[in-house]
Amino acid sequence: MKNSIVALAAAAAFASSVGLARADNVITLGASVQLTGSSANTGRYYRDAYGLTIAKINEAGGIKVGGKTYKLALKILDNQSDVNLSVRQYVQLITSDKVNFLLGPFASNFALSDSSIAEKYQIPMVQGGGASTQIYTRHYKYIFGTLPAADDYYASTIEMFGKLQPKPETVALVAADDSFDVSVAKGTRERLKAAHMKIAVDATYREGNSDFSSILTQIKAANVDAILWSGHETEALNFIRQMKSLNVNPKDYYGFTVGVPTEDFRKALGKDANYAFGMTSWLPSATLKDRWFGDALGFAKAYKAKFGYDPDYHAASGAADVETFAVALEKAGSLNPKAVRDAIAKINFSSLYALHTKYGENGQIILPQIVVQIQDGKLVPIYSDQFLNKPQYPVPPWNKRG
Amino acid sequence: MVLAQILLNGILLGGLYGLMALGMALVWGVLNIVNLAHGALIMLGGYVVYYIFVFTGLDPFAAIAVAMVIMFGVGFLLQYGLLNLIVRSALLNTLLITFGLDVVITYLAQFLFTADFRTINPSYAGANFSAFGLTVPGIRFAAFVVAIALAAALWWLLNRRPLGLAIRATSQNLVAARLYGVDPRILYAVTFGIGTALAGAAGGLYGMIANLTPYIGASLTAKSFVIAIIGGLTNPFNVILGGIVVGIAESLATLYFGATYSDVVSFGLLVLVLVVRPTRTLRAA
Repeated sequence: MKNSIVALAAAAAFASSVGLARADNVITLGASVQLTGSSANTGRYYRDAYGLTIAKINEAGGIKVGGKTYKLALKILDNQSDVNLSVRQYVQLITSDKVNFLLGPFASNFALSDSSIAEKYQIPMVQGGGASTQIYTRHYKYIFGTLPAADDYYASTIEMFGKLQPKPETVALVAADDSFDVSVAKGTRERLKAAHMKIAVDATYREGNSDFSSILTQIKAANVDAILWSGHETEALNFIRQMKSLNVNPKDYYGFTVGVPTEDFRKALGKDANYAFGMTSWLPSATLKDRWFGDALGFAKAYKAKFGYDPDYHAASGAADVETFAVALEKAGSLNPKAVRDAIAKINFSSLYALHTKYGENGQIILPQIVVQIQDGKLVPIYSDQFLNKPQYPVPPWNKRG
Repeated sequence: MVLAQILLNGILLGGLYGLMALGMALVWGVLNIVNLAHGALIMLGGYVVYYIFVFTGLDPFAAIAVAMVIMFGVGFLLQYGLLNLIVRSALLNTLLITFGLDVVITYLAQFLFTADFRTINPSYAGANFSAFGLTVPGIRFAAFVVAIALAAALWWLLNRRPLGLAIRATSQNLVAARLYGVDPRILYAVTFGIGTALAGAAGGLYGMIANLTPYIGASLTAKSFVIAIIGGLTNPFNVILGGIVVGIAESLATLYFGATYSDVVSFGLLVLVLVVRPTRTLRAA
């Protein structure tokens, strides 16, 4: 009831259309994104990145497909952070709005469900919002993703542990119970076992949980060396605030899958954000050359200028999804969904997001996570396959901080 | 020691839960309105405290007092201008209108405040102290004390002051209350205003412990509903006690079954109460 009422209003309010009429020279990309609801804070990255990248490609004259020049258009719907509505909207985008190709929503559980629609109608979807390996283990042919595998999120962190002194030996693993975080926890458990580290606390919490006091009490009692946490940004903020109020101090390290790279995280926590470790698959760098933005720095600058906030890896990943279609369409020389799907499977190009934007056999990109840390309010890259900067390690207890 | 700490966490959390439910129980008990927008009003109160704190630098606990006055006004106007239209009509009408109100407030909040996460983060937000070998988070302890104090104030108002007696009289016998010169429209608005002010206080305290977003309302309404049923609708202290029972149950569930099941336990408690003591609960409702 609630969803249907709001759906009507939101569809009217948020349906963004740029050249929606099926003009001969327009290729429409369709997406259902969290513009309202509990995930709207992250959903906006995708709306903004899709729009900016399409505008940039069109400014440069559009794309040439089979000798004809096309402009790109975007049809974006608000799924209100409701996965069931999202599925219905992807059906609508294909059957009623007749979009040519699909861009993805934010979050693994959405991508997991929505990709089934892409597969059913055999319309390629490139999504940069879902990292769960569950999305890619169903042998679907029409789903591609620009976030690296959730199982590997803590790979670089655990590799780094082996090079730190003192080396963490005992770990508390805390993860939400949604598709993405279940994948992260599963992969992390295996890697910790392989690294001969002991998991002293292994806790799963309900997605959206705001009270971590019981879990934190167990962690405190276990006196662990490190906390590895996986969930959503709002939960990460609550977790850190409650860590401090319950005086929970892991001896060496605490790290998060999400939140740390975003400006919001630092703003919300102030000084309490310092020392937190995190990860990102993307940092704006001049080495990431891009056909439309010049490089990743150019993208970050254009994005900030237009929307007033810094892009993070979600935004860069969303931009790479649009560029994937642009490059693949030119290579395919056709608007035929199967031809475009085959072209996506073979492409390998430098983008603002990755030096080698290409997809593995399962459709998922392979990218390392860069370990980052907040030091004096600034985001500092720490480790990829080697140290990039000196970590502030071990993290000091709460009562010893300035 | 872990068990003792977890019990303490549950009790402190439960105090805040109880305060969240206090306004809902009052409005439900007196006006017979199951206010599905109650969580949205808690959220709104949180934002009011947040903006007072950020823009004036006023201490959040002082800001809560200001926010309660503002939220009283919001609640008064809502009841006087809107909810009085359906106050004695079928329960379904009150559910529909408060449901609509919840949607409007939530989306208005996103429009006005954006979906960014907000935290009410005074310098002492993370402070704690030790007692009997346990860590007591300062803010949670203060929130617990405020919850008890507000429950006591509400009890005093309802049982010892003419306004409270008029509220109860109107609830019990509208005709007799009118004969004594009570204007029920104003009294209903005052009652809803008090409920909304209590929601505002709960929102401010919630914002000091967890993040504010426009979307926290639905889960807070559900939690308040469970506690109002468990605690009953007549005595404010029972509502706080209901909150503490739910807080302890959730904390123990996290310890023994995992945090995934904390909601199952609180809603399970609701079912249990309805099965074991349906007469008392239904009479109170």
